[in-house]
Amino acid sequence: MTLSDKVSVAGMGCLCACGNTPEQAFDGALSGEALFTLPTGRVESTYATKYPVFLVSQAVCKDKPADQTLSQFFFIKASRQAFAQAGILPNQLEPKRVGVIIGASVHPSLHCFEIYKHWRKKELTALDTAGLKNYLATPLAQWVSRYFGFEGPFQTVATACASGTDAIGLAKNWIETGLCDAVLCGGTDEIAESPYDGFIRLLVATTERCRPFCKTRSGINIGEGAAALLLVNSQTAEKFKLSCQGYVLGYGNCCDGFHPTAPDPTAIGLQKALRFALADSGKTADDMAFVNAHGTASQANDSAESVAFKTILPNVPVWGSKGVTGHTLGAAGAIEAVLALQALNTHTLPATVGFTTTDDALQLVPTTSQQTISKRFAVSDSLAFGGCNAAVVLGAKDAA
Amino acid sequence: MLPKLFINGAVCLTGDAAPEDFAPFMDVRKLRRAEPISKNVLWCAFKALEQAQLKDTSSANLGISLAMGAGALESTLKFMDSIVQDGDELSSPTAFASSVHNSTALFLSMLLGIHGPCVVTGQLDASFAAALLTAQQFLAKNMCEQVLVAITEDVNPLLAEQLQKDPQIFAPFIYQPSLPPTRLAGALAVSDKPTAATQFVLDTVSLSNTSDLQTQSTPWVTTCSCAHSAALLDSYLRKKEPFVLREQFAGTILEIAGEPYVQP
Repeated sequence: MTLSDKVSVAGMGCLCACGNTPEQAFDGALSGEALFTLPTGRVESTYATKYPVFLVSQAVCKDKPADQTLSQFFFIKASRQAFAQAGILPNQLEPKRVGVIIGASVHPSLHCFEIYKHWRKKELTALDTAGLKNYLATPLAQWVSRYFGFEGPFQTVATACASGTDAIGLAKNWIETGLCDAVLCGGTDEIAESPYDGFIRLLVATTERCRPFCKTRSGINIGEGAAALLLVNSQTAEKFKLSCQGYVLGYGNCCDGFHPTAPDPTAIGLQKALRFALADSGKTADDMAFVNAHGTASQANDSAESVAFKTILPNVPVWGSKGVTGHTLGAAGAIEAVLALQALNTHTLPATVGFTTTDDALQLVPTTSQQTISKRFAVSDSLAFGGCNAAVVLGAKDAA
Repeated sequence: MLPKLFINGAVCLTGDAAPEDFAPFMDVRKLRRAEPISKNVLWCAFKALEQAQLKDTSSANLGISLAMGAGALESTLKFMDSIVQDGDELSSPTAFASSVHNSTALFLSMLLGIHGPCVVTGQLDASFAAALLTAQQFLAKNMCEQVLVAITEDVNPLLAEQLQKDPQIFAPFIYQPSLPPTRLAGALAVSDKPTAATQFVLDTVSLSNTSDLQTQSTPWVTTCSCAHSAALLDSYLRKKEPFVLREQFAGTILEIAGEPYVQP
């Protein structure tokens, strides 16, 4: 099988704290500019210590329809960008052969915090009841599928912070196994009370801007956003003369069953996921221009990743992008895949924003300055609570 | 091509597993901090894997495909309770960690020693069908040799109250007005090749999002949670006859067709 027979990315869309399109977000990754601020008006916080987050711009959020959650709204916006870039309207595809897979963490959980507070006080309003019923009527991926008029399979992946990477990997497999001709996939998440408080109470959030792989790293900043990728098989790409933004070539996933909120320090699960993704892609570590690391800037995450990279991806440059996006949870893997494709397609690898000082314990120095890259492939990995690890291998649009 | 799914073990549970139920399988003390939603599916997994003759799960090449309709509802509410009652500065980190869907996946992975692919699906009633598709994908891509398809659902007083007013809403638990809500869980051990333990073979597993309800001789069944779907499949398996299960809920269409497997 040649690369032209592989699953291609016909179009992609993205919005996050460093930009509202893939191009803008990548420019933000290069410049380090991002909306990093307190979630005033979004989260009720009584903490004396303030924990800023990475937010999608208010100029975008203000257009959210009242009957959509931010997670839904973000994903629809990203999807529209993906279809526009692909050069096709959603209704031109055969509806029964188009799948939808979305990774998310807030939306699949019953974090209806305002409704719940009203219910506790026995003050549930008609609006609350309607909101709850609406939430329970249609799961996220099915809602998106219906929004665009698709009738194929759908899946909302809830593997916490690995969900976005899993969604892309599973979408690739749905196409390769003949289940679908095209899959709209990606991830979406929003700042909400539960994860905001939860990460602070787990003592992994920081009041400073995060510093992936840095000796002085002090924790994570959560963020929000979405990324959508329209993956297609070669026949569909050919039939509709779709754009090609790159390829999804390999997917690996492995759980390490170590701790509820920390990865196995030996990174056995992540190593296996990376190894499988490389084998699935038919590429080797030497073919990789870089790895877009999960790089949350928590002590445990960055340490485990450094172990895995030394073993599976020796000498492959490591880029962490959460210094401009924050940790967007279920959207992270998808946003990072889009940024990685932008890097491959522009032959430009950004510096790891936030990194300043080498941590000798990690024996890993991420990118410290912008670099020109010539290799045409990259890996993007994600680690999640519960020891779930996932990785995808991506190819540039001119890799074929 | 998508493989057929060979069912080598299948167990469903209505209600909660008791501590003594675990005695044949493990040191019960390891369960003392576990949530019922995780314990229930663990018990189903032990039983399904026992049927599949996979007692040494740590050396087997196994994956996990977990379906949770609305996640760990009890822990989610506990965490929100702790914010409301104690304030965000004293909210419970343990409840937060347990409220994440993956906490149940971790529980299965850790206590069964499974170190293979693992994906959690959280999409209300359609979770079970997508979990079966994921298992099929793991097997088609040789990511593992067998998959534990696990299903578990939690109770929730807010939803129970709403269910009283509107019986059509999604409810992951069994609800009868005179009784407390009851949890459901299930587990299947599946492979893409028959084993000495294979009981059934599924020829068709499909999930679609369509309003096109083609009326055929087999009637549609309406279900309202992914654990109900699993329980329904289990009831068909127990009949030991060929079957076509066609379910719909709010436009979700799940079709599973299978027949008993005859060992050569």
